Amino acid sequence: MSNNKLQETIRDAALNKNIGSFSYWLHRLTGIGLAVYLLMHTFVLSSAISGETAFNERMGAVQNPFFAVLEIFLIAGVFIHMLNGLRITLADFFGWSRMHKSIFWIIAIIFFALMIITILLIWPKLNPANYPVGG
Amino acid sequence: MAVKISSQSMWTWMFQRLSGLFLGFFLVTHLNVHHLFHDITSAGLISFETVRTNLASSGFWKVYYFLFVPFIVFHALNGLWAIIADYRMPGTLSILIKTAFWIFAAALIITGFFTLKNLF
Repeated sequence: MSNNKLQETIRDAALNKNIGSFSYWLHRLTGIGLAVYLLMHTFVLSSAISGETAFNERMGAVQNPFFAVLEIFLIAGVFIHMLNGLRITLADFFGWSRMHKSIFWIIAIIFFALMIITILLIWPKLNPANYPVGG
Repeated sequence: MAVKISSQSMWTWMFQRLSGLFLGFFLVTHLNVHHLFHDITSAGLISFETVRTNLASSGFWKVYYFLFVPFIVFHALNGLWAIIADYRMPGTLSILIKTAFWIFAAALIITGFFTLKNLF
């Protein structure tokens, strides 16, 4: 990737301030984020190969209010990528590309509704008092 | 004007969408069980034992997770590859990255399968 290409990409993003361009960037960034998360997730869970003690130790390290906040961002990334992916698939498979802007606003509403539910469900995990003492 | 289009990209394009739809369904279930509806105030922290009990609850989970791993690895790496391919790398670098991705994919799937084997 030459430096010019990257600059070109950034200039493109600045020039095309529209929904299509915005969701394109959102999809790429959440996609990269989720791929990185997949790697971390595999790292944490693969401790199961070493056995129960190793698994509980590593899983215990990521179950606290700090990671619960990160979990909210993770789930937001999942929902953005999932709903926008659905929008792309609908436009690609059913030729709904002329409606892609309306679909964007529909998925945006669904996204905010899902995030309210997510935050309510994660809420107890944000309070340190809810965690069992000594694991 | 006939333009030769690589048929491989067509299949990866198609399979990216199909695996995406599949992952949409699977991830919602996965998130509900392990991230959202796991109440730490009543069920405690997620541990080796709770995961094992959870996964043993139905034979469906075995099929589910052993499919989930290769699908998500394909979708993630094919997606990253699509981003890289947009920047038109020189041929050798492109082959190098592609090879690295294949090795990485194999490593991730093998690690995933051994992890699952220990949790079932």
